This record gives sequence, C-alpha cells and structure tokens, in this order.
Amino acid sequence: MPMVTGETVKQVLRDLYGYEIADADAHSIANSAGAMLTLATHLGSIGIAGIEPPFGYPVLLAEATRSAKSRS
Amino acid sequence: MSTPFQELLDFDVATLADKLRAREISPVDVTEAYLGRIEQTDASLRAYITVTDTLARKAAKKAEAEIAAGKWRGPFHGIPIALKDLVYTKGIRTTGGSKILTDFKPDHDATVWTRLNRAGAVLLGKLNLHEFAYGITSSNPHHGIVRNPYALDRIPGGSSGGSAAAIVARSAAATIGTDTGGSIRIPAAFCGCVGMKPTWSRVSRYGVLPLAYTLDHVGPITRTVRDAAMMLQVIAGVDRNDSTSSRERVPDFAAGLERDISDVRVGVIRELNDGLSDDVARSFNTALETLRSLGATVDQVTIPSLPMAGVMNGIITWAEALEIHEEWMRTRPQDYGDDVRRILEIGMMTPATSYIRAQRARARTLSESIAVLSDHDVLVAPVSAIVAPKIGTTQILEASGDRVDVVAMILRFTQPFNTTGQPAIAIPTGLSPEGLPIAMQLIGRPFGEQEIIRVAAAYERARAALAPPPEIA
Repeated sequence: MPMVTGETVKQVLRDLYGYEIADADAHSIANSAGAMLTLATHLGSIGIAGIEPPFGYPVLLAEATRSAKSRS
Repeated sequence: MSTPFQELLDFDVATLADKLRAREISPVDVTEAYLGRIEQTDASLRAYITVTDTLARKAAKKAEAEIAAGKWRGPFHGIPIALKDLVYTKGIRTTGGSKILTDFKPDHDATVWTRLNRAGAVLLGKLNLHEFAYGITSSNPHHGIVRNPYALDRIPGGSSGGSAAAIVARSAAATIGTDTGGSIRIPAAFCGCVGMKPTWSRVSRYGVLPLAYTLDHVGPITRTVRDAAMMLQVIAGVDRNDSTSSRERVPDFAAGLERDISDVRVGVIRELNDGLSDDVARSFNTALETLRSLGATVDQVTIPSLPMAGVMNGIITWAEALEIHEEWMRTRPQDYGDDVRRILEIGMMTPATSYIRAQRARARTLSESIAVLSDHDVLVAPVSAIVAPKIGTTQILEASGDRVDVVAMILRFTQPFNTTGQPAIAIPTGLSPEGLPIAMQLIGRPFGEQEIIRVAAAYERARAALAPPPEIA
C-alpha cells in the first residue's frame, strides 16, 4: 500500500512542478492521493492482463495529418 | 403571431419547431420571450455568464426572414438555445467558468456550435458552470453560485449546472452540456430535466475546453426526451477537426420514440442499487414498476468491476486535467477557486503507471457491461443516491450514523459510464416529498443511443408530469 506523507507531497510538488504548498495542505493532499493510489494498485486485480491501453495508431496518424494541414 | 410571450415559454423544442415552421409564431417573439425570462430569473439563478441579446435578436430576425421565404433549415431553425460556457464561440467570450479565461474570446467556433448555428439555432448566451467543469456543485467563485430552480438554497448539480437550471427555469429552450464524470446527468437529475450523454466520440469535442480528453462527452440538456433526440441529431457525427470523433453511422435518433417497449429487457445494475436514500430508492423502484407495466422485462444484472470504474475515472481525470492546467497552476494558482486548485494539486501526485493502468482497466468494465447487454437491451440505475444537497454541504449523516462524502455519493453512479464511454440518458422519475427532483439513468450499448431514447421516451409518456418549480422572482 502506498504511504504518501505530507513531506512527500511537498517534495514532489516542489521538485517536479516548482510548486510550493503549506504543510496542512500537503497533509490533506497526501490523504487523498494515498487513498486513490491504494485503490489504483487494486486495478490490476480485476483482470486486465493482456489488455492494451486504448491509444490507437489511427488517432495518432489522423492528428499528425490534421496538424500538418493546419501548418501549411 | 399573437401567442402571448409567457405561453411561448411553455412549448418544448418539438412544438416550437412545428409552430415556427407553420409560421404560427415568430422566432423574434420566441427569442424576446426567452430574453425576458432570463432578465426575470437570472439575478436569482445565475445560470448565465454572458447573455448575447443583441446577437440573438439579429439571428432571430434572420430566421424569421428565412422561414418566411420558405428556407426552413430544420427543427432548430429559430429555436433559442444556450451553450455551456466552455463551448467556443468565435468572438464571444468563453470563460470556462474561470477567472483565468474571463476575457478569452476564441477565434473559432466549436463544431457543436457550428452545427447548431448552421441549423438556424438562436444563441441566447453562455451558461454558468463549475469552474473549468471540474466539480459537481456549480458554486462558481468567479461568476456566481448557480441555484436549483426547485429550491434556491440547493445546488443544481454540475458541472453543467447553468445548462440544466436554464431548462427548468425556462430561460432556454435547449442547452448543451458536457460530461466527464456525470456533468450532464447530475444537473439534469437535480434540476428535473433530461440530460443525454452520448457514446464517447459520437459528438465532436473540437472547440470544447477539455477537462479530460479521453472521458469528455458533449450532449444535450432538454425538457423532453424527444428534444434531446432532436438536438443530438444536429450535433452528432464525424468531424474532420476531431480525430477521435466516430465514423459510426448516425441513425435517426427519434425513429423509435413512439414504439412500445414490450420487447425490451432492462437490467438493473446490482452494484448501483444500494446506499440510496429512502426517497431515491422509492422513486427508482416506482420507475422500475412503470417499466414493467409497459411490458418490459426487468431483472437484476451484475458488472463486478463497476465499483472500480470510479477509481479509473478519478485517476484519468487527475492526470489529464493537470496536463491541461499545469502551466496555469505554475503561474496563476491564486486565480483558481479553492476546490479546483486542490484537486489539481492532488493530480500532481498521480504516477504515470496508475494512469496507464486505469486506461487499460476501462476495457475490463466495458467488456463486462457489453456481456450483460448481450441479453439485455438497456441497463438502468439511479443518477445519484441523494437529492440535490443544500449549497455548501460536503457531508451527509446517514441513518447508520456514518458521515458520508456528498460528492462520492453522487459520482459513483455516473462516473462508470464515462469510463466505459457508453451512452446514458438521465430522466426524471418524480419529486421527493420536499419537492426536489429525482432521476434514473438508462445506459445503452456503445452507439446504442436509439435504444435508450426509445425506452426513456416510453417511460416519459407513462410517468406523471412533474410539478413545475416554484415561481422564481
């Protein structure tokens, strides 16, 4: 189970996003994020072996084509 | 052309369309009636952020001239509508309900507005919402607290709170909302109108300010099921500006409106049939009895992974919303409302692994749902465990003595079908003893909008009409 602390939150937000936050807020975020991340670890248990993420190449190709048209 | 203005507000879109086409009423009079109604109600409701009265009058005159010349464009010609204020309108400010975009005027129209505009709709204005569509109260710190027409001290739901409040207050004939975790269906349920979330990709998202790319849906909020079908007909279909929009054939959504449902098999989702307040449970069970009385077979089904679909929705929204807002969060965090800023901060803690896993898991829940729909035509569930709470309520004390988070009690019914992308329509089932709307949602197969519209319409015909909300000063 992920153990997210206020200190972890403060450090991640500062180091990755340059975002400062008060101690009390960091603890509140740690509680919310910790709960959700615990549940996220359980997602693997509902039977997702072999399932690909839903990001298809057709959309990638279509976006590239659309982007190229809008630049020309 | 002599119909009193007040009576014009009583007509649904289908009736208005018939009368406008027959030139029994004038688009100019209908538009004036709605503009007058906005003036009468919106100081209390705060459903609108921007009223485009000058443009509306101009468009109404144009519609009148075209209809008089025999150039009827279709059922939305001359119909006064309004858009959630995250739908881009060229040259008209589009705030997203935010302070950050308060003066933003897009340089292009969203496809959904392009299509409605082309169909001759008259734009009354842009509707208030939860800031950046990231919440379900519509208590907007920058543009005013949207209030529920049935009880001004209650939330209208959100994020499309203004879109639903305007329908029920009769300050728009039809509106557009968006739904990432329930933002069309929840306000429709709390305000007592119809909210339709089509299949993901059925309606273009081009020019609609995103909350979460892979979960956002655009759809109609209307007085009746027929109106929802008619509006969906205008806005649905592939769009070259949205690579994710579906090439699936767009059927005649209204084709089955009059059909009976004696051959229909309805599955009651077991995982969403608990924890209901007494009022919601009673109304939901009565609605199921009505479906049975119409000849439908109603039985219980199970979608085992469905309780985890809210987790998937939450993680995906955290990550995608933060990606959209990251720059503003770095440079203008003070310009967000407290609740939206906090949830974006939580998003900063989302690992990429959790995001990818949540995306993969969506197919599991959808596969289970499709399996159930192999021997059922539609699924049914409440839209919320509770009626619209009072503004500012964050927790509710249950009979067990437990304090329960209000947002969680609401979202767990709606988020799963954003996760699976299935079409879902919210329809009122009655009023609680204290006079607050209650609703159920019908959920269909992917691209099965026709079937849920058919069942919803049959139910709507059989259900007693809802008492209107109290007069709004």
